[in-house]
Amino acid sequence: MSAALHSEDQADPNLTPILDMVFQLITFFMLVINFKAASLDMSLKLPVIGSARPVDTHGNEELLVLNVNQQGEIIIYGSVRDAESYLAREAELARAKLKAKGEKVAPGGELPIMVVVRADQSTPFELLNKVLTDCQKNGFRKFALRAMNREKEARS
Amino acid sequence: MSRRRKRRRVQGDVVLNLAAMLDMAFQLLAFFILTFKPSPIEGQINLNLPPPVPIKPETPQELKNENESDEMGVSAAKTLTITIAARPNGDVASLRVALAEPIPGPFDENKRRQLDRHLKQVFAIEGAPFDQVLLRIGKTLSYGELMKIIDVCTRQKMADGTPVNKISFVELEEK
Repeated sequence: MSAALHSEDQADPNLTPILDMVFQLITFFMLVINFKAASLDMSLKLPVIGSARPVDTHGNEELLVLNVNQQGEIIIYGSVRDAESYLAREAELARAKLKAKGEKVAPGGELPIMVVVRADQSTPFELLNKVLTDCQKNGFRKFALRAMNREKEARS
Repeated sequence: MSRRRKRRRVQGDVVLNLAAMLDMAFQLLAFFILTFKPSPIEGQINLNLPPPVPIKPETPQELKNENESDEMGVSAAKTLTITIAARPNGDVASLRVALAEPIPGPFDENKRRQLDRHLKQVFAIEGAPFDQVLLRIGKTLSYGELMKIIDVCTRQKMADGTPVNKISFVELEEK
């Protein structure tokens, strides 16, 4: 039986081209994988605004993404967090990081971090304003309000 | 030629078994294909929000004083105030630019154009009387409706051509 398998009739395909192609596909998927998407809560329905444009900071600006649901709770990597304590901790960490770099930021002074607000379109202003006020109290001044610029993308 | 090739293969060629490597490569490929989820492209409106300032109850006289006094933290003399009252369902009940006639809600396409025209007239005044917009917003106004109004404001340009991007929010005290 074994001898029959190793006979001269056995097919010996050249696997090199298929391996090349598979490695090219792997390279493609590795390059397009986006770990930042994990911080976005896709269950939120963002508003649709015509003038909202994607802004590329070229990695020069540090971002803090806050997903705000209809109840005004902030969702970080899928878990609900208390806004006040979370923002205070983030601000403290940012100050420690700046201090380590040799830059001084006064307590309550402006932090060089942009807060990206991804709120559900039906979130009441009262709840959203509470999150914004907590951010401002902790020294965050730069905000980016996220929205879709096409109805089709907002639905998906 | 073929005889030479045959001889070389027999004597020195190392034949690698690529099947194992191909298996592993396919597993990696399967992982990347299964975890691939293209995220939708989101736009954003950048704002520089100053710290919150206290707000007084809204009456025409006080609103006038507010626009003229320099005591407020947001240089009130150059601030255009837009007051947005909200319905319990989150829609716009009424919208008023400074002391002008209020625009009744809901904030549909016609009202959006009306606000746009009004703001264009206000910002086109020579001497640039306003350099920032203060939105006084009702508690129940939904984020979606708020963004529509911010969208109209950020499309405006001042008399010198610079875009309006200094926008701040305060909560409207409801009686």
